[in-house]
Amino acid sequence: MAAVGAAQGVGGGGMSESVQVTGVFASEEECIHAIQALRRGGFHRPRVFAPIPSEKILETLELPKSPIRLCVLLGGITGVISGFALTIGTAWTWPHVAGGKPMVSLPPYIIIAFELMILFGALAGVGGFLFFNRFPRLESLRGYSPRFSDDRFGVLVTCASEQSTRAELLLKDAGAEEVERETA
Amino acid sequence: MAAAVPDYREIDRQVMRTLEWPGRAYWIWVGSLFLIVVWGALCWTRQIWLGLGVTGLRQPNMWAVYITNFVFWVGIAHSGTLISAILYLFRSRWRTAVYRLAETMTAFAVLTAGLFPLIHLGRVWFFYWLLPYPNQRWLQPDFRSPLVWDAFAVSTYLTVSILFLFMGLIPDVATARDESTGWRRVFYNIVALGWQGSEEQWRHFAGAYLLLAGLATPLVISVHSVVSWDFAMAQLPGWHSTIFAPYFVAGAIFSGCALVLTLIIPVRRMLELEELITPWHIDNLARIVLFTSLIVTYSYITESFMVWYAKDPFETTTFHMRYFGHYGYLFWIMVLCNCIIPLALFSPRVRHNMKVLWVLSLFVNVGMWLERFVIIAGSLASNFVPSQWGFFVPSVTEISITAASFAWFLMLFSLFTRFLPIVSMTELKEGLRWLRLALRKESAEAA
Repeated sequence: MAAVGAAQGVGGGGMSESVQVTGVFASEEECIHAIQALRRGGFHRPRVFAPIPSEKILETLELPKSPIRLCVLLGGITGVISGFALTIGTAWTWPHVAGGKPMVSLPPYIIIAFELMILFGALAGVGGFLFFNRFPRLESLRGYSPRFSDDRFGVLVTCASEQSTRAELLLKDAGAEEVERETA
Repeated sequence: MAAAVPDYREIDRQVMRTLEWPGRAYWIWVGSLFLIVVWGALCWTRQIWLGLGVTGLRQPNMWAVYITNFVFWVGIAHSGTLISAILYLFRSRWRTAVYRLAETMTAFAVLTAGLFPLIHLGRVWFFYWLLPYPNQRWLQPDFRSPLVWDAFAVSTYLTVSILFLFMGLIPDVATARDESTGWRRVFYNIVALGWQGSEEQWRHFAGAYLLLAGLATPLVISVHSVVSWDFAMAQLPGWHSTIFAPYFVAGAIFSGCALVLTLIIPVRRMLELEELITPWHIDNLARIVLFTSLIVTYSYITESFMVWYAKDPFETTTFHMRYFGHYGYLFWIMVLCNCIIPLALFSPRVRHNMKVLWVLSLFVNVGMWLERFVIIAGSLASNFVPSQWGFFVPSVTEISITAASFAWFLMLFSLFTRFLPIVSMTELKEGLRWLRLALRKESAEAA
């Protein structure tokens, strides 16, 4: 997982205590404003909780594309190779000439390879989703509140204690309904 | 389109209300379906014990009701994938309120379909001969056979449908978890896998969901094409046709959308989801039914034209028998249900009248079941050798197992509707932004 909510903010040098500041927002727009304000203020990328999949939030956070694409590609390639290996291998291992047709008939084998490409690609995609999210996850993510699966957006920034007041102000200015602070 | 836009909280409240403990009427309904399933299971047990002689299967009709049911249920599944995956890729907004129901229908329909190749086997304990495993008995599956393609296609479709349904459920189940107590909270906690909607989780979710939709789209086309090749690859008149793959795919979406209508109209009323599943959503579904009905009608005409133009005596005889022979009346009922009655959907009044629409969807369900029966049993009844001709009559066993398959499907579907979110809260919330913009535009235009 990316280093979200990194332990230090701007000017967070020295031995100062880490603090976690969470802003609760009623709308996606305010949440995006808060992320932009924090990034402009020099804070590290915050952790964001959202009840909806928001492309805008992901763009604002400048997250790279999910590596699941690669999993699906590899799964699909494995499926195609397995499909041809299974069909051609079976024909060679147990030769059974029917109607004088060639031992290896590629056109029908394409169907098996295609189906296995989809199957392996889908399984790899879901496998990747579980792996990269560390699912099933027993412990709760830091800063999570049940409100964030309902109707509120949460922006959580971890910074040095001397920066926390500034972080609180930035979150409030962006329209946070509530701002909570706790020791990280 | 809805006049008033609900907020996130309201969407959650309305969907969570469907997950409250159901009343006595619901359990009587589920219990009755269960009894029909038990009766079907007993009939199947008797069939396994005594052999396929207890069915109406006789030469030359060795494929009939069971294979009709198989094709029917696989076909039903297709609309779910159309709505959930293909319309997702096209960013179609109206799908958000109905896709979960359609997707659930898909998963349970494929599950039901998958039973019929087993039920159709005389010696079901040898079902594994269909599977490709190394063996020393020279009985390896022939990969040139459409039946083996079918085993691969349908099992892949079942797996991908369940994965797709499950993926979409995760964020909604997390919402249900956060709003539940007791055993439900424990259950939803397990199903949600620890989902908390962080930006990392959404990033991987969006990637995986989009790619699954991309994989499901060609899959859905391939599956019913493969099912159609079970017939089209054979030499039998009435089956051996190049039009079968697109014809079957269109028919599958037609029948599936009709069954979505059959289910969604009572569900939205019983679960009081009228504000979320609006007449606009139903209207869009009805338009798909109308459009695919026209494609199916065109396919019937093309199929007949090809027979007339080719002037092959065997094909001509088969089609003459299909129109005017022993099963002729079933063919004309099918035409009525699939081609004539759906034309009423050109009328917006019909599309907005829920009772009429529900009855119309039942006609389409009947018509599409008959289409498969007419193709399968009707073509087998009159093959190349007139001395072999014979007509299929279903036995009590087949009728019971067919009824039980409908009960099995409805029982699973009914259980799902009250224990897992049947409407996607996440996607409805996501669609609100678009809905607000659309309403703003509409009011600006009005001003």
